[in-house]
Amino acid sequence: MVENRPILNFVTHAVLILGVLFLCFPVWMALVASTHGPDALSKSPIPLWFGGQGWDNYTQLLSAGLPAAGGVPIGMMMLNSLIMALVITFGKIAISIISAYAIVYFRFPFRMAFFWMIFLTLMLPVEVRILPTFDVVTKLGMLNTYAGLTIPLIASATATFLFRQFFLTIPDELVEAARIDRAGPVRFFIDILLPMSRTNIAALFIILFIYGWNQYLWPLLVTTDEALYTVVMGIQRMVNSGESLPVWHFVMGTAVLGMIPPVVVVVAMQKLFVKGLVESEK
Amino acid sequence: MATLNLNALGKTYPGGVTAASDVSAEISDGEFVVLVGPSGCGKSTILRMIAGLETITTGQLDIDGSRVNDREPGERDIAMVFQNYALYPHMSVRKNMEYGLKNEGLPKAQIAERISEAARTLRLEGYLDRKPRQLSGGQRQRVAMGRAIVRQPKVFLFDEPLSNLDAKLRTELRAELKALHHRLGATFIYVTHDQVEAMSLADRIIIMNAGRVEQIGTPMDLYLRPATRFVAEFIGSPSMNMLEGRIGADRASLSFDSAPPLSLRGDLPGVEGQRIALGVRPEHLDLAGDSAGRIDLSVRFVEQLGADTVVHGAVSGAEVPLAVRLAGVQRHETGTVLPLSYAPGNLHLFDADSGRRLEVEAG
Ligand SMILES: Nc1ncnc2c1ncn2[C@@H]1O[C@H](COP(=O)(O)OP(=O)(O)O)[C@@H](O)[C@H]1O
Ligand SMILES: [Mg+2]
Repeated sequence: MVENRPILNFVTHAVLILGVLFLCFPVWMALVASTHGPDALSKSPIPLWFGGQGWDNYTQLLSAGLPAAGGVPIGMMMLNSLIMALVITFGKIAISIISAYAIVYFRFPFRMAFFWMIFLTLMLPVEVRILPTFDVVTKLGMLNTYAGLTIPLIASATATFLFRQFFLTIPDELVEAARIDRAGPVRFFIDILLPMSRTNIAALFIILFIYGWNQYLWPLLVTTDEALYTVVMGIQRMVNSGESLPVWHFVMGTAVLGMIPPVVVVVAMQKLFVKGLVESEK
Repeated sequence: MATLNLNALGKTYPGGVTAASDVSAEISDGEFVVLVGPSGCGKSTILRMIAGLETITTGQLDIDGSRVNDREPGERDIAMVFQNYALYPHMSVRKNMEYGLKNEGLPKAQIAERISEAARTLRLEGYLDRKPRQLSGGQRQRVAMGRAIVRQPKVFLFDEPLSNLDAKLRTELRAELKALHHRLGATFIYVTHDQVEAMSLADRIIIMNAGRVEQIGTPMDLYLRPATRFVAEFIGSPSMNMLEGRIGADRASLSFDSAPPLSLRGDLPGVEGQRIALGVRPEHLDLAGDSAGRIDLSVRFVEQLGADTVVHGAVSGAEVPLAVRLAGVQRHETGTVLPLSYAPGNLHLFDADSGRRLEVEAG
């Protein structure tokens, strides 16, 4: 239904703008708070406009960190978060696309059994299996390593399932044409299946990057070494650091910094994602 | 350039469906062979066994004298064109055509040369950098043909390549295919369910029914001397009239259950009382002057096709359907009775039970 009445236009826009304001307000507050000194936020009224401390706050966060929270610079934590998120994302995509390839295109004994086993792991996210997984990671000596931080989070039934469904929509004739064109299984995977999956990969990349970046419980468990802290953990430690009042201006600054990479990923990948959707393949 | 020898090929799918059995044929170098039959009769199965996309359950397939049963599709020196084009959607037209050659390890210069030649032949020069989705159906199918041509294979395989196109394009591409076959001189094996396509393209037709070969022959063999009732009814449009009855006592007339007997010239083969089917093509019936052999047609409806007129009805006094194709534009009212004549040489007789052709002993 496309109507063009001025009053309706006004109302719909007003509702939309209100919604946007509502959603953006906390982000705005975080931005504002991160530019004030330590006291401004414990007094009322809370400031709604930028203060003059922004430069100082951010340089301290990025270079020195907070003594009370271990003194780890946020830059370091951001790097850790980035490594964790990227390893999880690439790991999940690689493993799931390869396993979906095996399940859809190869006839091997117990193929369906394997598929259902993978499918069942959907019911076992990290939170459910956290104790046994922690035990395994400990016994393998992976505490306080990047491997321990990422590998247990990589196996992914959702993505496998997604790729499987996509592969099933690819006509058999395409596979047969490739066989006649002398493409072996590896060539077919690299030259045909991967490029055809690029929209799916882009969509998954966004979702999985944010999933990896926002990991909280697992990093908290397996890392005690400050060199491996992630941003999300960093925020938590700042809020709970010692007896003193929470240092809200630093907490908010960290939160703002922590938001940047997911935003960049969404903005950058969305273009590819939308382009892929628009130029749908027939 | 290749000869193929299909030696009692059979295919049973894992589920237990036997899609083809005992299919034998010799296909010589440069021949254009069309596999035709109703859908589900096993044409694609045969073609896919030749391509190597389907394993051969029984029998042996030789290409140029050597057994290829166990060779991969890529090693059989064949190329295939599919009904739904099967182009790689993310590759440009050029890349689509290049792909097989690259995998073969052909030098770049040679690849470029073959592609520009194929593009010229198929009038695709302006489209080489487009993606398949930016092309029309006819263009896509030409790209698929181009992908086959550049391989320079011994055998070209086509599985209903024109079925997704509209009638006009189909006729156009049919002519192009025929010209292509002339130019390349390669062996073509072509699958279709459309008998007109088969008749117009083939040097030789293999006509199949329910997984078995009914007859192999030139289009005119099939048209003039169909080996079985199935072939007789499949080839030609509208299809051949079939009158089922019993051989009369004089062995020169056919008696029907509910119509006056039809007298024929010459001796009918077989014994008195044997059930047979008498076939005559609509185009071989004509309005009677006073020639021998008469059938009366009571008119039901008339199809005006311009060049000719098809009158549908039934044998007068019986419920046996009958059609006649008359030249030019003609008007006939429903309910009128047309006396028809035929030349005895145009009658076909089949055993009603086995469907086998019975030779009429000319008298
Ligand atoms: N992969 C398959 N598995 C089981 N049955 C099949 C398969 N492919 C074809 N069939 C069956 O084999 C028969 C012949 O199929 P096909 O060769 O495709 O016929 P056509 O090409 O003449 O229409 C059909 O009954 C079909 O259902
Ligand atoms: Mg078919």
